[in-house]
Amino acid sequence: MKKLLALVLALVMALSCAAMASADEGKTTINVCIASEPDTLDPALNSAVDGATMIAHLFTGLAAWEQDENGALVIVPACATELPAAVINEDGTATYTYTLVDGLCWSDGKALTAGDFAFAWKRAASSALGADYGYMFEIVKGYPDELAVEAIDDKTLTVTLLNDVSYWNELLAFPTYLPVREDVVSNEAWATDPATYVCNGPYTMTAWNHNSVITLTKNANYFLADTILMDEINFYLSDDANNMLANFKNGDWQLIDDVPNAEIDALKAEYPTEFFVGSQMGTYYVSWNVNAGILPEGCELTGDEAEKAQAEIRFAIGLLFDRNYIVTEIGKAGQQPASSFVALGLTDADGIAQFYEVAGPSAEYYGYWNTSEDAYEGNWDQAIETLRKYYTFDEATGMFTNFPTIEYLYNTSEGHKAIGEYLQSVLAGIGIQMNMVNQEWNTFLNTRKAGDYTVARNGWLADYNDPISFLDMWTSGSGNNDSQFGKGANSEAHIYSIDLTPFGVDVKVENGTWAETYDAAIMAIKTCTDKDARYGMMHAAEDLLMSTGAITPIYYYTDIYMIDDAVSGFFCNPLGYKYFMYCTVGK
Amino acid sequence: MSSKMMFYVLKRVLLAVVTIWIVITVTFFVMHAVPGGPFVGEKAISKEAQAALEAKYGLDKPLMEQYVTYLRDIVTRFDFGPSLKQRGRQVIDIIMDGMRTSARLGIIAAFSAGIVGIVLGAVAAIRRNTFIDKVIMVFTTAFVSMPSFIMGTLLLILFSVHLGWLPANGAARGGLVLPIITLALYPMSYITRLTRSSMLDVLGQDYIRTARSKGVSKPKIIFGHALKNSLIPVITYFGPMLAFIVTGSMVVEQIFAVPGIGRQFVSSITNRDYTMIMGTTIFLASLIVIMNLVSDLLYKVVDPRIEFD
Repeated sequence: MKKLLALVLALVMALSCAAMASADEGKTTINVCIASEPDTLDPALNSAVDGATMIAHLFTGLAAWEQDENGALVIVPACATELPAAVINEDGTATYTYTLVDGLCWSDGKALTAGDFAFAWKRAASSALGADYGYMFEIVKGYPDELAVEAIDDKTLTVTLLNDVSYWNELLAFPTYLPVREDVVSNEAWATDPATYVCNGPYTMTAWNHNSVITLTKNANYFLADTILMDEINFYLSDDANNMLANFKNGDWQLIDDVPNAEIDALKAEYPTEFFVGSQMGTYYVSWNVNAGILPEGCELTGDEAEKAQAEIRFAIGLLFDRNYIVTEIGKAGQQPASSFVALGLTDADGIAQFYEVAGPSAEYYGYWNTSEDAYEGNWDQAIETLRKYYTFDEATGMFTNFPTIEYLYNTSEGHKAIGEYLQSVLAGIGIQMNMVNQEWNTFLNTRKAGDYTVARNGWLADYNDPISFLDMWTSGSGNNDSQFGKGANSEAHIYSIDLTPFGVDVKVENGTWAETYDAAIMAIKTCTDKDARYGMMHAAEDLLMSTGAITPIYYYTDIYMIDDAVSGFFCNPLGYKYFMYCTVGK
Repeated sequence: MSSKMMFYVLKRVLLAVVTIWIVITVTFFVMHAVPGGPFVGEKAISKEAQAALEAKYGLDKPLMEQYVTYLRDIVTRFDFGPSLKQRGRQVIDIIMDGMRTSARLGIIAAFSAGIVGIVLGAVAAIRRNTFIDKVIMVFTTAFVSMPSFIMGTLLLILFSVHLGWLPANGAARGGLVLPIITLALYPMSYITRLTRSSMLDVLGQDYIRTARSKGVSKPKIIFGHALKNSLIPVITYFGPMLAFIVTGSMVVEQIFAVPGIGRQFVSSITNRDYTMIMGTTIFLASLIVIMNLVSDLLYKVVDPRIEFD
């Protein structure tokens, strides 16, 4: 038996020695793990952050994200010589003209032309392709199938937008706007095989072992190849946080983008210089279906009065939840308590102040209610007072006795369940029974989109640093309007008011429908070219949105990752894309 | 092969085809009846784009027509179609890709489990009630009762994180050692116990006593008579076990980041990747049906008294 054990141990050691004796001398390599197998690495089809990170290493657009000497993340010209301002046409449309840098070429050596950009954009926007992010082109004239983008010659590209937008340069660095070549993508399987994957960025794909590892190697044909410091990047493909951590701890992987939730506290203490909490422009919230009744049985209110009362009730219930408790005891990942829908990380008109800090009615606190721990009791009292107007309150027990039973819909996940149970326990404390309904992800999305629920867990991540990416999803016709504003019975409700006249827009409605107010405001915002007025209107739109009480923000998302101390030169952009090209790994 | 056996095999193959057809039909209609779809995501795509995608993959046609087309493509061209989620990849390629790893992993695990299990089981039976028997029984009981996610995690923490002997990801060199051990421990323990009890049973039979009284040597009794006859339950178990183990273990693949087929089963369902769901289901069903047939045929080899009817 002892002999057998010795033999096994010897074998194991021999194997592990063999594993260590790899890695070519002189070549710099970094091993990272950000997620499991990406659905696609076609820049036009990708809609995931992990896919975008890999694509950012494989392709370069007219503009790109960079870290300046102060550590700030900025958009700089890349394939374009510069990022000029738009020429505003007589009809209010805005035309941009770009000149390409000399000597651009694809990874197979062929020259890259303005025509490649024009082709790629038209393809990405087309309804025939059906890309998740096709709508990123909706600001371009002619969207979706007659996109106003044109290659004047091989080096000049023009594009006309419906109106000038402030985040346009940022879009130029977005994956959907990256160039692809017609003959390459005509093979539908081009983006799944290194042999057919032709790109124009700092790296080329040299291996893709599906569900295992993707290897990127420095592209010698890249026009800025001499600025790229890392020779090779291995993206290991796993979504198991425990496995990631094991690989990080034993030194095999230098960056991991997820850690087991239960380990967060221990890891913060054990790896103070390697554990990071980055912001991520997103909000975790609870959405209410505005068409689901929550008034007590026998309530005399009907029609618009009933609608108004329910808005008040929903908002009051939102005040009952202790967001500090949720983030410190349940989330535990450095999340920030939320008091507005537009998330932390999105800036206001000046590009410096946070949009959420300016939002809301009060100068004393940020957002629509005070999230400080001291204010919680006051919020609670205010909420109870409101609820007492509509429901029978039993003084002896401190319970409401006639609040109808409601259901909380969430998708299968320990984290979502824990938060749901907290909300449930708070409501149970005042006599409101909320049952938990758990659905598998895809079914859940379907139910929520169809509005077949009363209260549901929800979350939203912005695609670019502009609050409109949080606001335009609530228009009547939007496919992401889970709260069903302006749909069904709500489309007839005349209870919404908005005044955009201070911003020079002729929209002032009192007690109008959702379409007359919110949809009109979003339309005005999208066509407005004055930055201050535009941001003013976005605040007005958010005020209206929050007044419905149908959006109950819980916290702003964070992005947790761990990176080895030996790595320098790493940065992460506001959208959560991670950049390894300027990394070096010290000893 | 006797004509009786030929007839039997033919009958079983026909039965297998019917079984798989039933599996295809049930899966196909249940899958489409479940809410959600392959193009549903957190962020909605436009109605036009949705329609364009549905037209592209033929999902806009009546369900019955889709079903007939699907069956026809499989039967006539062995074409399982493209994945709806991993765009640009064919279902058959994804399955084959995953299978290469899973099969290698599974076959090594299954055969080591078989060999070690039979040896340990035989040892335990022959040395019944001795110390060695008890040690084997204690360990195999523990391994049979311990779910693979606990076993895998323990091995990972010990050999990969603390001792640093073996890598924690399946993609690295030597990365398959731990997953193979994790996969093999359960069937190995099960086979040990099966072999032991079955062998004890055989050792008590009259013909063994007869052999012994005739003065046949002990090794000859064990290897020549007892062992072979005590393997029938092991063979019954081995066939389906091999099918299950080579088609990948979701849990083990997850723990060790192994690029096998197991994870594809689960993710295809969450993604409503219809063609992948069909492909993986048909694949697994066929494999199990075939393995069952093979183990039934093996009975005959082990015990010639068994008659096919």
